[in-house]
Amino acid sequence: MIAENTQTQMRKGILEYCVLSIISRGEIYASDIIAELRSAKLLVVEGTLYPLLTRLKNNGLLSYNWVESTSGPPRKYYTLTEDGRGILSQLDQTWQELAYAVGVSQKGANS
Amino acid sequence: MEKTIIINIGNTIIHIEESAYELLKAYLNEVKQYFANHADDLEIVTDIENRIAELLTEQLEEQKKQVVDSANVNSVIAQMGRVQDFDNTAEGGEEPIIDNHYQYQYTEKKLYRDMDDRVVAGVCAGIAHFVNADPKWIRLATVLISLAGGFGLLVYAILWIIMPKAKSRVEKMEMKGEPANLQGFQKNLDEELQAVKERLTEVNKHAQPLFARFGIFIGEFFEWFGRFISGTGKVIFKVIAGLIVVAGVLFLLALIIGTAVFQGFWDASIYEYFPFSIVNESNRGMILLGAFVVCFVPVLALVLFSIRIAFNKQITNKTLSFALLIIWLGGVAVTGYHVAKILSEFKQHAELTQTTDLKSFPTYTLNIDKSKYFTKEDSLAYHIDANNRHQIVVDDMEDGPFVSPSRIRIDINKSENGITRLTQKYESQGKTFQSALQNAQNISYNYIMKDSELVFSPRFQLRKGSIWRNQEVRLTLEIPVGTKLILKQDIYRYVNNYWAWECNDSENDQNDYSVWVMTDDGLKCVAKLKEEALKRQKLKGELYDLELLQKNKTDDVIYQDSVSNRIREVKGELGIAP
Repeated sequence: MIAENTQTQMRKGILEYCVLSIISRGEIYASDIIAELRSAKLLVVEGTLYPLLTRLKNNGLLSYNWVESTSGPPRKYYTLTEDGRGILSQLDQTWQELAYAVGVSQKGANS
Repeated sequence: MEKTIIINIGNTIIHIEESAYELLKAYLNEVKQYFANHADDLEIVTDIENRIAELLTEQLEEQKKQVVDSANVNSVIAQMGRVQDFDNTAEGGEEPIIDNHYQYQYTEKKLYRDMDDRVVAGVCAGIAHFVNADPKWIRLATVLISLAGGFGLLVYAILWIIMPKAKSRVEKMEMKGEPANLQGFQKNLDEELQAVKERLTEVNKHAQPLFARFGIFIGEFFEWFGRFISGTGKVIFKVIAGLIVVAGVLFLLALIIGTAVFQGFWDASIYEYFPFSIVNESNRGMILLGAFVVCFVPVLALVLFSIRIAFNKQITNKTLSFALLIIWLGGVAVTGYHVAKILSEFKQHAELTQTTDLKSFPTYTLNIDKSKYFTKEDSLAYHIDANNRHQIVVDDMEDGPFVSPSRIRIDINKSENGITRLTQKYESQGKTFQSALQNAQNISYNYIMKDSELVFSPRFQLRKGSIWRNQEVRLTLEIPVGTKLILKQDIYRYVNNYWAWECNDSENDQNDYSVWVMTDDGLKCVAKLKEEALKRQKLKGELYDLELLQKNKTDDVIYQDSVSNRIREVKGELGIAP
């Protein structure tokens, strides 16, 4: 239970960073984001993604275009805004620091 | 076979099986509930709905299907994730937590009519779910309240209109207070699949306007009524129809016998009785036939119709029915014509007045003689010896259904010229004045004067062969002021302008007579006058005493007040102005 909690906390922090990174590679549809996350073994159900995307969009990090779909209704394709790119580069840096911190914590500063 | 529903989700039209629809609806409700406190709930839910629509469309294309089934919905739900899965992953601190409040709110019961457990419209069962009681107690209470003045029926009808039916499974679960989320829903699905008989397509109707509900009420009421008639009611109706057949046949037989009687086969004298004495002799045959047809045909039709209901046998055809109708209309026409003709014989009014001056006495006695005066033939027929004075036949026949209204009426008035006078007024109706006068002359009436005693016969007779044309006899007795009158009890009811019973001697009310005296203000009861005089005497005595008392204790205000109050009262009763 304790482990689960911590895992959840860690995943939550990383998920947002991952989503931003995936979108930064180009215009993308929500279900494709899921597919990418799945292949990255970051298990997420689609229902979780929509609130996250909506929040990021409302914070001005994302924008979307309506694109006609061959099957079903038009789809929202997401892209990063300028703000989003700024935030992402900050997060990249944070991730480097975290990775370093984790590496150091695990193996010691000298290795 | 499964019923399908067409839904619009994410602007896409999708055909979906009902069970799958229920599943999907429950899921979406759950999702909506989950995001209800979220700032962007509408957008998120729309995104999710769009995606579900897309996934379903894709699945249909892949599987070359037309209709979404439960398996499709389950796989979509698996992909989108359950609400419980939402908790474990993203949206850390911001996400709304499903707290107890939410759980409580969602398991709140709603008042629906339970159509699966209904007797009439499911109102009682619905209330029972709502208050967690056994439906039979609610039903018992309803029946009891209905018996006590029908109030319960009114309440029931109103609730029938107001309470919506529990149609969808979600509504049924809300009615029973089970949480309408997915787990609850799936648990419920298995239970209900066996129990649910009718499944209904429409979505929530909470916001139905009242008139639409009323329409539903009417529709359901007749549906219920139809079920009642075809079920339990059918037996009852058959029994009633059978009874009608028996009663109707008896009535028809009685009608035939009665007609024969009127035709004179058994009793030719029936036309001497009222109201048959109204009918002229020449019209009797026609009017009898007409009345017979008018009564016979509808009863016959009712019997035939009841036979049809009771035994499911068609024994009439259109021709017969039509012929019956024609015959009946003919009967109505003949009867109507003759009734109108008879009524026209009441058009004119004539009066015949005969005045007799009576010998004057200081006191008259008025009495009624109930003896019947027989004609010579009747006396022989009844073996009455007219010469034998000891045999007295008393006529106790009062106004009844077959007695023509032949009562006399007596008015007692003041004589202006000091002469005692009896006026006999004979009145009658007729087609013309002459015939009315003729009818009035056919009245025979007797009274006897023995010294100062006037003995009246209680009713007049019509000469043999006369028909009833509203004949009346009115007697007016005029007596001078100061003349006393003794009214025997028998005559009370014939006195028209006074209420003779009010004159009861308080000391001796066993008397079978009362004494009256004629004054300037009309006839007065002597006993009453005496009583009044006595009372006045007493009051005058009291007034005298009071006036003496007033002279004492002139300083005592309270004493003076009460004495002068009483004086005022006494003077008021005596009619003296204070």
